[in-house]
Amino acid sequence: MNEYRGWIAERKVRRSRLTRHQYTIGLLQEGRHAGLLTSEETMRIQQGLMLILQELILRYTQGESTSVTTETAEDIMLSVLYATDAYLFGLGQPEQAIDCLKRMSIRDIYTQGVETVSQCFADTKQLYEDVSQTMVQVPIDAYRLTIDESLPVFLRKYGMIFHAHNTMASIDYPLAQDDMKLQGVFYMKQYLERLQLENTFCNQFDLQAILELLSHYGRMCRFDYRMELFNLFQLILNQSVFSTLCGGAPTELRISVAQYERLARRLASLSEDEIRTAITSALTIIQQELKLDHQLIPYMDGCKEELVQRVKHAAEYNSLDHVIVMERQSAASSRVISFDKADVMSSAQLRRLLDQIHSCASTEEKVKLMLQKVHSIHDYLDLLESNCLYGDEYEALFRAFGEMELAILAKVVFYEELRNESLVSFISAGSEEDRSEWQRHFVRFLRDKDQDALRSMDRCVNELDYEQLSFN
Amino acid sequence: MFWPRIFQSLHASVPELYTDELLGLNEQTRPYGVALTEQEIAMIMVARDQVLQSYGRVELGIDVTKEMVEQFASSAYVEQESYAETLMALHEIFYNLKNETEDRINDYQLIHMMKSLYEEECAGSIDLLQSRLEAYAEQCRVEAMTNDNDLEGDDAAWHLKR
Repeated sequence: MNEYRGWIAERKVRRSRLTRHQYTIGLLQEGRHAGLLTSEETMRIQQGLMLILQELILRYTQGESTSVTTETAEDIMLSVLYATDAYLFGLGQPEQAIDCLKRMSIRDIYTQGVETVSQCFADTKQLYEDVSQTMVQVPIDAYRLTIDESLPVFLRKYGMIFHAHNTMASIDYPLAQDDMKLQGVFYMKQYLERLQLENTFCNQFDLQAILELLSHYGRMCRFDYRMELFNLFQLILNQSVFSTLCGGAPTELRISVAQYERLARRLASLSEDEIRTAITSALTIIQQELKLDHQLIPYMDGCKEELVQRVKHAAEYNSLDHVIVMERQSAASSRVISFDKADVMSSAQLRRLLDQIHSCASTEEKVKLMLQKVHSIHDYLDLLESNCLYGDEYEALFRAFGEMELAILAKVVFYEELRNESLVSFISAGSEEDRSEWQRHFVRFLRDKDQDALRSMDRCVNELDYEQLSFN
Repeated sequence: MFWPRIFQSLHASVPELYTDELLGLNEQTRPYGVALTEQEIAMIMVARDQVLQSYGRVELGIDVTKEMVEQFASSAYVEQESYAETLMALHEIFYNLKNETEDRINDYQLIHMMKSLYEEECAGSIDLLQSRLEAYAEQCRVEAMTNDNDLEGDDAAWHLKR
């Protein structure tokens, strides 16, 4: 028996079994395992938690009901534990937290936890103000919507009593380094702290240079950068590293074709370790030359390994032009397509036109009417989606379009597909399944065109710039 | 998961307390000729836990059971022989209704409505009570849906009602 007791006493809290998420539960389990908590103490704590839950259920139902659905009860319980976790985790050492569970009532721990969560929420609100003020003025939808809309929704709706563990916001903008293990307001605080670091870094660069970089980046990836999910900080940091490796200033984001070619040759000749050394040196130069916050340096260093691997793979597969953004001549400059908002029809005008189209007696009349009245890609798309044409009428309309109109339509409709392949290969191999009726007609119409015509249209597609196909 | 076990353990940890509370109510109900034994209380508690589990609900405490005892003991249709069984059936109807009405009606209103229907329209028939309340739940759902549709279709109303 004494031997057994000795063995119990030697057991330690297994830190590997404790996670930030559900810390209190982990402490109860590990406290029992290590013999630091008795079964009576564990039972007392559990019953204390249940009494808090019972009171909160009554508050939740505003005294109208003493029962709730299991989902609601679980949700409220998770919220209670989020608060106790907040306090106990803040104590540092698990043994200290277990000692606290022994000595303090769970209600007092909960009350202190709510206070901790409340303080974190106040800090988060302040951080949001800072982030909002340092926001980089770039037209990246996910970035702007996250800061302007999603984060305020979270700050308005966050409920620290019943839903403290919920991260009730659609945060689309990806950070360079995210820690999804956190939940609720602690996650949001960390997200904002990191976003603030990223903003601080990005603001060291000239805005015009950033906008140009984005434009070249969009062309490099064959996508509309405004609509895509990518991290601005990482793009700028990587480009700054490449610029430094080219011998330029860290704040210089422009890399010419000649600079790129020299750098690509150099990187292709380096081993992985040499690439790592080169990138580390470049990061050191950037950190020394820019006046950076001391928290920003480890954050930047945390992005290093991913860049090393990307460069290594791209060098191996001769695709560094997909990693280093070089200045690309805007071929689209010869193809300036302007869309005037004034050209877009109102809903009423569109409805009237639809009625007119339906009453047309012949295909020729319909096509003529559409060509006369419609002057915007938005309206063409609306009309096509409304199924106002039948069978051969689609082909008649597409025949009436010029090469540029067809290229614009293809670029807009096959946005995802044309990011990865040419129009020629997409049309010859592309499936018609999962497409609307007019799109199937469009694919068939393009498939009937000869290869030369398709290649010529493909050139138009490549020359078109998404920035000029604004849907604002 | 962890929680259903914890919720169950709570019920399991306090049966003596619940039994004492319910036995204490016998003083009030004896003038109406009904009382619960310890065994019957244990049966009611088991049945209640099963009903809660099958309807996916959590109740901490026995306020609903106590209110039912207090209300239904005085019914002219409740007899000592079937008293415990009636209470068990009433629990099932009650928690089903809570779910079916999506908690739109509060506990006390619902128990009082059950009592009133049981006494008057249903003349002590549990089956009839169940069917009446199912019709009521259906009516509640239709009304809720109509209200939701009204709110969706009318921005001004939405703002006002919020």
